[in-house]
Amino acid sequence: MSAALAPSFVREHLRTRLTLVLLVAIPVFFVLIFASVLGQFSSALGGSLASRAATAISAGWAAAFLSGALAFFQLVSSRGADRRLALAGLGAGRVALARIAAALSLAVVVSAVAYLTLWLRAGVAHPLHAALAILAFAAIYIGIGALIGVFVSGALEGSLLVVLVFSVDVFSGPAMTSGGGGLLASLTPTRKAADLLIAAGAGRGSPASDWVAVTAVAVGAVGVALAAFWFSARSRA
Amino acid sequence: MIVNPRTLAATEMAFRDQRRRPLLLLLLVIVPAYTITYSIAITLATPRRIGLPGDQVVLTTMKELHGAVMAGNAIAFVAALCGVFVMQAALAGDRRLVIAGFRPGETVIARLIVLAAATILVVAVSMAVTAASFTPAAWSRFLAAALLIGLIYAALGALAGALLDKLAATYVMLFLALTDLGIVQNPMFGSGTPRWWAALLPGYGPGRTIVDGAFSPVFHAWSALAIGLGWAAALTVAVSWVLRRAVGTRA
Repeated sequence: MSAALAPSFVREHLRTRLTLVLLVAIPVFFVLIFASVLGQFSSALGGSLASRAATAISAGWAAAFLSGALAFFQLVSSRGADRRLALAGLGAGRVALARIAAALSLAVVVSAVAYLTLWLRAGVAHPLHAALAILAFAAIYIGIGALIGVFVSGALEGSLLVVLVFSVDVFSGPAMTSGGGGLLASLTPTRKAADLLIAAGAGRGSPASDWVAVTAVAVGAVGVALAAFWFSARSRA
Repeated sequence: MIVNPRTLAATEMAFRDQRRRPLLLLLLVIVPAYTITYSIAITLATPRRIGLPGDQVVLTTMKELHGAVMAGNAIAFVAALCGVFVMQAALAGDRRLVIAGFRPGETVIARLIVLAAATILVVAVSMAVTAASFTPAAWSRFLAAALLIGLIYAALGALAGALLDKLAATYVMLFLALTDLGIVQNPMFGSGTPRWWAALLPGYGPGRTIVDGAFSPVFHAWSALAIGLGWAAALTVAVSWVLRRAVGTRA
């Protein structure tokens, strides 16, 4: 039943054609425009991103922000409908599974567009590494967006919180800091995904420990999002 | 524009609506405060030559430059999001007020006052935290340009909120603010002077004026200021018209 419901949830978000256009166009422009300045910005902040690595990290950020905002609005705007669907017999668990499947499907689209733009713009020395790292950025922000949606129902407050988390993440990440960036940098959610993406963009491999860490954070974030959708859909009666 | 008791009542209700959202007030302070303070703090004092209005050239540092431009970036982001969601709230609630007997213009004025107040709060916070790390050459011009950025982007956000759904409007405004003031108008990148086509974007006028106010003791950005004021006036008329039409015609 969840598998049948997920495409409907995807269609629900894409019924406004412009949203689909933006989900495709923004990653393209983000990578193309930001790639040209991120190397310069990184060195101004004490980072040491080479040009190709800067291009790579821009793809991850595009996937992250779009997926985070999408997950937040998905949870907030569907709360009432999901409770009714759960009460009508689907159950909160199946509704949550369908929601997470829809969110991941859209995140895959955004990540694929960002990845293809990156590949066409700069080439990718480690294609599989880069693709997985960009997808990890998207998955992590699905968790962040959905978690914000559980606690915050106001659209303005929620979108400002997504922007705040994204800003902390970007300014404290390995791309923009030198010497590790301190405690805050070590706690940012996409720290290891950024390490992987920078390495893939620069043509280097990454240690197994980084892959384990990224997998754990991404799977954990999807788990948090699933719990958030379940909590949102369950009956309060 | 006559302020009658119903306009005052609508304005009071709109502000009461905002007071019920303490998290919003907190975020309107925290988001610009954090992004401005942290980004300036981590920027290195690398030498940088930039072009100012009036064909002046000045040698400064990346840290000083970040101090000069980061407030404008943060104000544009936050004001644009305020514009989007104040407009969305207006479309959802103010049609009922019109059905109940309010004139569309009365509800429009109330919403515009709320949006202007949110923008002024964000500008005030941004200027206060900027003052801790950067001192512009002329505070009055720096502050005026920052306010102009806020008003232009709040109006753009309101238009996006009227024409697009929440998600699409959020994407469009964040991307526009980041591209316009964050990159195209930003003298931290490229040659240090915006390219000719940067003048086509809404951030050009206030962006050049804020850089002039930051680094030049004498005002040279008359044409940039005129362009910015033109954008602000045109967008205010457009927002008023769209909002009035939206709350007045569709019940």
